[in-house]
Amino acid sequence: MRIDSLQQLSTWLDDAGIGLLELRGPGVLLRLGRDAADAAAVGERGAAVPHQERGAQSRGVAVNAPSAGVFLHSHPMQSSPLAPVGTQVRAGAPIGLLQIGALLLPVCAPRAAVVTGLRVPHGTVVGYGTPLVDLDPD
Amino acid sequence: MIEILSASALATVQDLGRLGALRWGVGTSGAMDPLALAAGNLLLGNDVDAAAVEVPVFPFQVRFTEDGAFALTGADCAARLDDVPLLPWWVGEARAGQVLTLGLPRAGAWRASRAYLCLPGGIDVPAVLGSRSTQLRGDFGGHEGRTLRQGDVLRAGAAESGAPVGGFGLVPPALVLPLQVDGVPAMRVLPAAEYAHYTEASRAAFWAGEWKITSQSDRYGYRLAGTPLEAGANVEMRSHGIVPGVIQVPPGGQPIVQMRDAQPSGGYPKLGTVIEADLWRLGQAPIGSRVRFIETTWDEAISALDQMQAWLANVQRLVALYRRQQARS
Repeated sequence: MRIDSLQQLSTWLDDAGIGLLELRGPGVLLRLGRDAADAAAVGERGAAVPHQERGAQSRGVAVNAPSAGVFLHSHPMQSSPLAPVGTQVRAGAPIGLLQIGALLLPVCAPRAAVVTGLRVPHGTVVGYGTPLVDLDPD
Repeated sequence: MIEILSASALATVQDLGRLGALRWGVGTSGAMDPLALAAGNLLLGNDVDAAAVEVPVFPFQVRFTEDGAFALTGADCAARLDDVPLLPWWVGEARAGQVLTLGLPRAGAWRASRAYLCLPGGIDVPAVLGSRSTQLRGDFGGHEGRTLRQGDVLRAGAAESGAPVGGFGLVPPALVLPLQVDGVPAMRVLPAAEYAHYTEASRAAFWAGEWKITSQSDRYGYRLAGTPLEAGANVEMRSHGIVPGVIQVPPGGQPIVQMRDAQPSGGYPKLGTVIEADLWRLGQAPIGSRVRFIETTWDEAISALDQMQAWLANVQRLVALYRRQQARS
């Protein structure tokens, strides 16, 4: 890969609303993040890994999109949201869903916490690594 | 393995049906919602026609006697694994000793009446005449040829298929392939052999009216209530072969739709046939609810079946991709 391709890649990421790109190949490891804090906090498996919020909410963690998809606050069969702001959730509980075609993937709370914010509206197309839900751990 | 904790819940073991046995006078049986059964199997990586437990009466409880994955599809019945809520149309993992509880079906975006509990490799019961479905008329197939009872133990066909951490699920086909007329669930119907015997007014009323699913409705057939259908002349017939979906009209003029456990022959005149691709919609319609019928053609019926198969093929592809990706990471 040529180093000047990076500019093009980051423009594409910006346009697509993708927060993080990870590319591995023989002798290549590329990690491009729109937000330095996001990129640093995404773990090896690239799953929904919480990262420490900078600034005022020092105790808060954000849960990032484990994949690209359509972020849903509620299950398509149900009208009530899975975890509205103020909900106490247990570790591993689904706090939102990512829809990819017919598939629904869970966005899970990494630990017991209280939901303090939903970053994107129901039905938003999100990219991999996009912060979705703010949690305040117990 | 699971142990049934509920008493006389009318639950049965079903697969996609005992096809090809009508020539011996053996009915089809099989899941009332074959699409939900197939989707539950695909979530687990099973063959689409693996056997599962069909649950029509709630609450329903089973205990897992060993660790294992499971999938739940069909009606959204506020399922819980011990005290942890489960999402509908979802695959999850249970530990030995955990109790799965299915509550009353919730109305939500799709009002359905039957849930399917699938296990890795399907429910391990012997195949009889090519199917594991329970044949209630003949007392064979399924689990000992009968509805499940408290204390019954069912084994999974495969040791463990595993479910990705947190599980995953599907958008139910009822939301992707909706079919309603004036807000009422609808099914497409092909006019049948005796259609022309009914008065023009009755034929028009059949398509235009709402039909209530009466309490005399079960896996054998749905007795509907609505404007009585009148034949122009008395229609007398000998018994002849019928299949699930056939709409018969007995002398009272209130139609009966043959369902999965229908007998293989009957002598009432046939007004129409609910197309195969829409039988799952009727199979899920609760007693007391109302349905509408839409006149269709052979070509449309075939294309509806293709659409259903395409949805399943797409689900199979996406699930396989996701499972492979999860296994790698």
